Amino acid sequence: MKKKKTNWLITSLLLIGTLLILFPLYLTINIALKTPQEMGEPLLSLPNEWRFQNFLDAIELTNFYSAFLNSFIVTFCVVVLTVLTNSLVSYAIARNMHKGFYKALFYYFVSAMFVPFPIIMLPLVRQTAVWNMDNLVGLIFLYIVFQLSFNVFIYVGYIKSIPIELEEAAVMDGASSWKIFWKVIFPLLSPMNATVAILTALYAWNDFLLPLVILTDPSDATLPLTQYIFQSEFSTNYNLAFASYLLAMLPMIIVYIVAQRWIIGNVTRGAVK
Amino acid sequence: MKRKTFLPICTGIASLMLITGCGNDSAEDGVVELELFSNKTENIPTYQKLIERFEAEHEDIRIKLYSPPDAETLLRTRLVKDDMPDMVAIGGSALYGELTKADMLVNYEGSPMLENIQPAYLDMLNELEGEEQEGIHGVPFAANANTVIYNKEKLRELGLEVPETWDEFIETLEAVKEAGEIPIYFTFQDAWTAMPAWNSIAGVLQPDQFAERKTNGETSFQESHTEVADKMQTLLDYGHDRMYGIGYDDGNREFAQGNGVFYFQGNWAVPQILTTNPELDLGVFALPVTNDPEENQLVSGVDVLLATMQDTEHPEEAEEFISFMLEEEQSEQYMSEQAAFSVLEGVLSDDPYMEGIRGKFEDGKITSFPDHFYPPGLGAENMIQEFLYSGDTQDFLKKIDREWDQIQLRF
Amino acid sequence: MQSKQRAFLFMTIPAVLLFFLFHTYPLLQGVFYSFTNWRGYGDWNFVGFSNYFNVFKDMRAWSAYGFTFQFAIVSTILVNIFSLLVALGLNSNIKFQKSLRAIYFLPNILSILIVGFIFQFIFTLFLPQLAELIGVTALSTNILGSPDHAWIGVVIMAVWQAVAFNTILYLAGLQTVPADVYEAASIDGANPWKRFWKITFPIIAPFFTINMVLALKSFLMVFDHIIALTGGGPGYSTESISVLIYSGGFEGGQFGYQSANAVIYFIVIVALSVFQLRILQKREVQQ
Repeated sequence: MKKKKTNWLITSLLLIGTLLILFPLYLTINIALKTPQEMGEPLLSLPNEWRFQNFLDAIELTNFYSAFLNSFIVTFCVVVLTVLTNSLVSYAIARNMHKGFYKALFYYFVSAMFVPFPIIMLPLVRQTAVWNMDNLVGLIFLYIVFQLSFNVFIYVGYIKSIPIELEEAAVMDGASSWKIFWKVIFPLLSPMNATVAILTALYAWNDFLLPLVILTDPSDATLPLTQYIFQSEFSTNYNLAFASYLLAMLPMIIVYIVAQRWIIGNVTRGAVK
Repeated sequence: MKRKTFLPICTGIASLMLITGCGNDSAEDGVVELELFSNKTENIPTYQKLIERFEAEHEDIRIKLYSPPDAETLLRTRLVKDDMPDMVAIGGSALYGELTKADMLVNYEGSPMLENIQPAYLDMLNELEGEEQEGIHGVPFAANANTVIYNKEKLRELGLEVPETWDEFIETLEAVKEAGEIPIYFTFQDAWTAMPAWNSIAGVLQPDQFAERKTNGETSFQESHTEVADKMQTLLDYGHDRMYGIGYDDGNREFAQGNGVFYFQGNWAVPQILTTNPELDLGVFALPVTNDPEENQLVSGVDVLLATMQDTEHPEEAEEFISFMLEEEQSEQYMSEQAAFSVLEGVLSDDPYMEGIRGKFEDGKITSFPDHFYPPGLGAENMIQEFLYSGDTQDFLKKIDREWDQIQLRF
Repeated sequence: MQSKQRAFLFMTIPAVLLFFLFHTYPLLQGVFYSFTNWRGYGDWNFVGFSNYFNVFKDMRAWSAYGFTFQFAIVSTILVNIFSLLVALGLNSNIKFQKSLRAIYFLPNILSILIVGFIFQFIFTLFLPQLAELIGVTALSTNILGSPDHAWIGVVIMAVWQAVAFNTILYLAGLQTVPADVYEAASIDGANPWKRFWKITFPIIAPFFTINMVLALKSFLMVFDHIIALTGGGPGYSTESISVLIYSGGFEGGQFGYQSANAVIYFIVIVALSVFQLRILQKREVQQ
């Protein structure tokens, strides 16, 4: 195959486009490093002196470490449990689709994708409180359950494409269904697991509505919810507010910078499947 | 291998949280923790100072202050969850009426805490509770005043004086406009900031018992509020280019920096303005709504009342906190830091900023906030905000009438 | 064989129970409450279908549906146009391909709420300041302050954020197009425009379908954007259905009434999804 020459026109257009993407982030960093007095000057000008005190103040005011820990625990547990449980359920369904019960289950889960969240929001708020689940544990359960519809849909499609012969050899050796799943199927699902894990992590980390309505104790607040709660205290101190926004986005940005190839690669692969 | 270690860790964390989650509502080592839910954000620093002092005096009680944005919605979420805080600090508005009608607050009638409070404010609470409800379920703590804040220095420079009648006010605004200054600094990006002007005008012009009669179908906005709407529109001529694009916090800052001569906000905005610019020479007056100075009243209401939820496990400790707040030292500190008014009988504010309305308090020319009696969920502020932009009076009055009637159908 | 079946049952039953408990049960409750006048606390009565009739008479609900659909349709179209363009660009022979791809995907990892706060600042303070500096007074007002134009501000922010994910999906689709198909076409002398419509687009059509459906569905649920940018204002001009159900249901104490609104919304979404899938799949077949 011959190597085509670089299309510089498109390259430069795309480079210009990145300015649109990066500009809000530049503005955020810029303002987070300024003093309130400098806000009178043009907003784009660089800070006279980098003021890291804003970050320290924001950490103290918003209880950053506690919110970070809450977000981290929720995201970590949700990702691990979602991948483990959702793939397992999908495996059982995919291998029994010829049976009415499992076929019905499949449609039961998948049809829930059409249910808009607001309709279950009002009763859910009350129900989780009655069950004493208006806390991080409840939040974790809800994320796992809400992801199930979509994940069953994509896992089942993927598992069906795995030849059943691979399992039959293991059955001959007398392995149980559980063992077959862990030893044979689960490793084969790795690409799908990665895709699901990434999408789940992004959802659980950034979600705002569910923590807003479910969590009762302010000390359970996750990072996005914290930004909302402290809106009023930031008032017009935009420097403090933007330092806090930046801190809240930073963990995800760092993970992304380190793992962007892997992340995009897996999302792309998931899409093709 | 990895997933084998993941799972126990995760279940470990989850079960740990279940355990702690169930046990955290009551105290450790005999320390009682009370949650105080507040719907104001301006007074957070003052509360924090007072709470600190209270905790120093009462080592076995901890007060947890929670005052989120959009607090009323969040409080109602908690209502649905049947999981209320121990105490609430809310205004004397429809929410208070609703909480008492649902029988959720401790009755303080006959309590010594209510003894020195001006009867006018207790009457307001009574009216909000409705006729069927007996008792007083909250302790009024601070009163507010719905005023026009003005930049004294600028007014003096322009050779103008505080107006006493509506026509004088309009003339003053004209003069300011001609001098090239912004007459009124409006901040309509936040819908509720249209309410200080609306409440001032409607408070004086609306018929007595409007809310009750409106609900009974005896009167309507269309019949009685045309003049109110027209006066709102008149004021708009003296706004500024960016008035729909700027909100309350930014407005406070701009006014503090010398933009605008008049600012339609109550006493609650004064501390924040002064934080930005402590040098600002500001004063307040009651909007002269009519041309008869005798008729022009000041709109004032219970800004903060402290109430205890019936479900709390520690009513005595809650009462202790409320009594502490009512003590002279705390009360005075709150009033001066928040530029608020005491609800105690015979205590007049000696705050120099509030001089312009002292006369109204002395003469008892006080009326209550009209919107505190509007049904919850009406969203008057959003409809008013939209009306200010569109300018269609008849359409607006019809809409708000209709919405009011509709809401009655939903319960 | 028996134990195998039992194992499969054990794999699914806990999930089914949890799913029923946390999803289906609240859904049934929601339908149930929609026939009551419950405030969320205290006593209640059955009111039959009257909540449903009242929703149809409710101007605020109509305005929420109007805004939500206007916003969702415009945003869906714009997102798909931009992300297809970006994906085509990223898929051609360019320099820095990997880095550019990483940058274009970046908005997808950020919290919508926080991005919304940042855009709120841009619209309220930054753009007016910029407009004054360069002397374009027409732009110096905050578009979020105008009931007629605030929705555009919401669209801009939503598109900025959503293009990222759809770009990746399109890019995935474009990578399934075999290179030799292009070569054959360029020998035939087909111009790029023709080449796109005749060759590329039919191959990525399934991705187009998925993207349209996913984008429209997520935009119809819009909540975080609104809370961060406008809170539903000015007036009710940018109040979405989700925001209305949230604030009406809790703030207004209209738990039962807003449940009825949610049921109607549910029916609308189902009808729309079925309709959309039909249309788009028909297109695919025709191509």
